Amino acid sequence: MSVSLQSEAIDVAAEYDQLVGDRPGAAVATFTGYVRDHSDAHTVSELELEHYPEMARKVLENLGQSAAERFGLSSWRIVHRFGRMAVSETIVWVGAVADHRGEAISACELMMDALKTDAPFWKREQGPGGEQWVASRDSDTERRARWQSGEAQ
Amino acid sequence: MSGGVKITIKLFAALREALGESEFELDFEVVTTDAVPIDVASVKAALSQRGADWSEALNQPNLVHALNHKVVFIDALVSEGDELAFFPPMTGG
Repeated sequence: MSVSLQSEAIDVAAEYDQLVGDRPGAAVATFTGYVRDHSDAHTVSELELEHYPEMARKVLENLGQSAAERFGLSSWRIVHRFGRMAVSETIVWVGAVADHRGEAISACELMMDALKTDAPFWKREQGPGGEQWVASRDSDTERRARWQSGEAQ
Repeated sequence: MSGGVKITIKLFAALREALGESEFELDFEVVTTDAVPIDVASVKAALSQRGADWSEALNQPNLVHALNHKVVFIDALVSEGDELAFFPPMTGG
């Protein structure tokens, strides 16, 4: 039931163990996001994530709590990195524990979809043409909207 | 209202880079004589007076404003001690 904002790489195995603890529940779902080696039209060699620390923590805590209420989670965790990271390093990790797989999987999907558009992080990619800020995607906004319209449940 | 309304302005990502500032105090009394209440739009208008680069950056269509760490509409009211942040759409995850 917590959030971590950190510059160091995410220890996925340790996060999983902490999420599950000594009361594993019946269904555990997790999602791990890694730095891609390419963007739409070019290769990416490094990524930098700027964030707004106080707001990011509040947004992610509210998001975890609302996912917990919506899906009846017995445990959840959101870990998001900031600073510089190389290709194939972890950026984000979310985990949810519920009574059934549907709730656990949906909670992870909601947390990721909402985090993309609501949490104050900004990606800056380094590639062959220099550095550039990553533009927001309409597809992310559309995925986020599904949870508000009731299309996704 | 007597005295100025002092707020903290924060800028992030491309906006911070374009304007060369990340955080500063703004005393509203010295930048406007508008009657209270002060809202996000009036802060934006006051900051836009700082020059063409400020005006352009703060009037981009997708600009997001967060008041005390919560995204708000342009008509949200601003009070003494508030923290108002401006930034482009978020791209985390």
